[in-house]
Amino acid sequence: MKRFYLLFLLLPIFLCSCVEIIDDLTLNLDGSGTFKYTINLSSSKVKVNSIMALDSFNGKKVMKLGELDNMLAEFKDVLKKEKGIRSVQMEFNKTDFIIKIAIDFGSIQELQNGIKTAFIKVDPKNNMLHDDGIWMSWDGKSLSRIIPNIAAERIKNVKDTEDNLLKTGTYTCISRLPRSIAKTNNVQCKLNPSKTASMLRVNALDLKLNPNLLEHTITLSP
Amino acid sequence: MTKLFLPLFLGFTLNVVSQGAEQLIPSQAVTVFSINNTDVLQKISIDEWITYDFMNEIHQELFDKSTENKSVKDAGLDFDKRLCSFYGKTSTYELTGFTFGIKNLNDLFTVFDDFEEIPSNDQNVRVYQSLFNNLIVNQDNGLLVRIEPLEPYLNNLTDSIWYARGNTSPYYAFDEDQDMTEEEITNEDVNKDMLEKTYYELRDSLQFELQKQYYATVMHGLLSDKESLYSKDSVFRELFTHTSAGVFYLDNSRNVDRSKNLWYLKTVLPTLYLDVQDLYEDNIITGDLVLEESSIKFKLKTSYSAPLGAIYSEMNDAKFDNSIAKYIRSDQPAYFTYTINLRAAYEKAFEVLVPILSKANDPEISFNLLMLKLGNALINKDAVFDTYKGSLFLTFNGVQKVKTKKITFFYDEETFEYGEKESEAEEDMPIFTMGFSTKRKDIPDMVLEHLSQVTSKFENKGDYWVFNKAIFDAAPVFIINTKDLFILTNDQDFAENHRDGFGKDALSKKQIKNIKKSGTMAGFVDIQQLALNFPSEFINETQQELFNFLRNKSGNLSLRSVETKAQFSTFEMNYSFLDKERSSKHFLDLLNTLYLLTR
Repeated sequence: MKRFYLLFLLLPIFLCSCVEIIDDLTLNLDGSGTFKYTINLSSSKVKVNSIMALDSFNGKKVMKLGELDNMLAEFKDVLKKEKGIRSVQMEFNKTDFIIKIAIDFGSIQELQNGIKTAFIKVDPKNNMLHDDGIWMSWDGKSLSRIIPNIAAERIKNVKDTEDNLLKTGTYTCISRLPRSIAKTNNVQCKLNPSKTASMLRVNALDLKLNPNLLEHTITLSP
Repeated sequence: MTKLFLPLFLGFTLNVVSQGAEQLIPSQAVTVFSINNTDVLQKISIDEWITYDFMNEIHQELFDKSTENKSVKDAGLDFDKRLCSFYGKTSTYELTGFTFGIKNLNDLFTVFDDFEEIPSNDQNVRVYQSLFNNLIVNQDNGLLVRIEPLEPYLNNLTDSIWYARGNTSPYYAFDEDQDMTEEEITNEDVNKDMLEKTYYELRDSLQFELQKQYYATVMHGLLSDKESLYSKDSVFRELFTHTSAGVFYLDNSRNVDRSKNLWYLKTVLPTLYLDVQDLYEDNIITGDLVLEESSIKFKLKTSYSAPLGAIYSEMNDAKFDNSIAKYIRSDQPAYFTYTINLRAAYEKAFEVLVPILSKANDPEISFNLLMLKLGNALINKDAVFDTYKGSLFLTFNGVQKVKTKKITFFYDEETFEYGEKESEAEEDMPIFTMGFSTKRKDIPDMVLEHLSQVTSKFENKGDYWVFNKAIFDAAPVFIINTKDLFILTNDQDFAENHRDGFGKDALSKKQIKNIKKSGTMAGFVDIQQLALNFPSEFINETQQELFNFLRNKSGNLSLRSVETKAQFSTFEMNYSFLDKERSSKHFLDLLNTLYLLTR
């Protein structure tokens, strides 16, 4: 569940804002694929800008725009050198606060290892990143997505006073697969008409109350 | 800041009434705050007092492990005497400290147990020293003072000696690209550490020597020359005849921070420096803190030299602009008005400054003076000062939802592919309005017309203008250019519906009368409304602490200038509260908040 890792690095800003996240995974038959991740804070840009003008917020140092830019660039540089990572593209819209990243990878395992290593290099003090759990698994027949405990704990810790903002935030998890989908174990998962993609969309506040909402396994037709 | 604040607050914990302790304040002190505890302590018990955060700090400072389980109550201090805290800064050192009455010297030394007595050249005065502080005991009065060389000065001095001896930089870092073995890197690190250690040893010994030297200077003035701030300054002396709960003193003419901009003049052009300094001669700010049944008043008096007074007198000779009143609601959470005659102030400043600057032989100053004279002769001053007359108002209008733009993602239900589109959004924003008096509507109009041709962000809406995405590239600012006022606001409702004022909801006649009576400055804050409405994400954590404190308070804060004369101006700040808490409790609450803010 690396999607949360990006979110955590940019704490405390993001969880105090109305955030829209799109987590889009495309898998090929050979296990390679493309992972796209989008964080959209444009509906809270006044708030994000005002927080970024502060030195610290809720007891945590606030990252300046330049620092964030540097950190993202460093993350990209480190990640693209990782084994199995074929290309990394990153876009940061500083006016509307939208960050987009697209990673082409050789296998799910290499993607997860690459992301984890890159985050540890960029933010070595963050203990959370040393969690060695597996957040996604793919065996050629089914794709499973789970949330690491540490990530679940983090989102639980968002202050209750920020709940109103979380209410308007969304997390959208899209999986595009090489064959048609036979079933999914999460009833909230929506399939496209050709049954080659699933979309699971949850409210950020609901996710705080129940971090398991995003867990699902997609089984492909034989 | 804590260092400075500590003595300040320690000052509050002690007292003043019988004469003496304040007479020990060194003449180098620039700022003094003194509290008359008979007013404060009669209403607040020491037990209650020592529960405040600032008292914790004092305890930590004064009471180390050897004085565990003791409090300021056990320190042998005379709580019936005035306590003063002071701060002073010269170009090379700063001093902080406080003076206090002593009831029991033995008890005092159970707290100040790190002090050792050293010889004194005055038989009535006993002198003690610890590692950082000096304690002077003159009968039943005490002075605790800390004198330290200024850090930039100390660093410069250390560097000059260090490099004159041929040393390399103590912060020398080896070239990372250089190929070095592990052993070479370790040796390099050790050498670097040694170098740094030696540098800091030099710095420490210089600091120690300078400290001794400055301490001797201060003590010589105080004990041998018998020269204290009290004996030297009649304004300071007079303050101690006041019966108010606290008094404040700031000698702005000796305020190094203010005059540091003149440092160049002082070194390069001493004559000119002295002339400009003359402007600030007698520029002393004094204040009285008065506790009343349901309010706390802070009365401030600024004295100045005749030339500066002449400029201020001209500047303040202005009448409140009546056109402002209709743009302030009677129930506004906070507002401020500033009424001055900028044209008159400019003319007087020109008259006073030109002869001073004319004395300079410096080519740069001469050139600046020429520009100033040319500007004065060629620029249409009527147009400039009719466009910006100097008077203004500022209001806080609470928090409103403002319209912003956001990017949303839309999805193709067939493929789950997604794209972006811009749509309307709403965000909470504190709303402010600011307006300037003007007689030349045509000039801002000309500028706005031009800007609207240059960028599409400026939109003419007929009676007003919108500067789109002006705040954080998201929220608009509205510009209203009336016959008498040029107004900027982020309040859409104001721009759309109140361009001609708030009508019957505007300030009442009584409120306007009060503003007019206030002269140059008038301000009002409904404390609770301001604290409740102001969004926390727009302020830092320490400011949040102040707002959290204010949220529990009900009352108003008002500011007004009372009087302007050729020699002085007076101001008054009044904090009135509606609850039944004692004024001394409010006073200490406020001090505690200030302490938390500056911690």
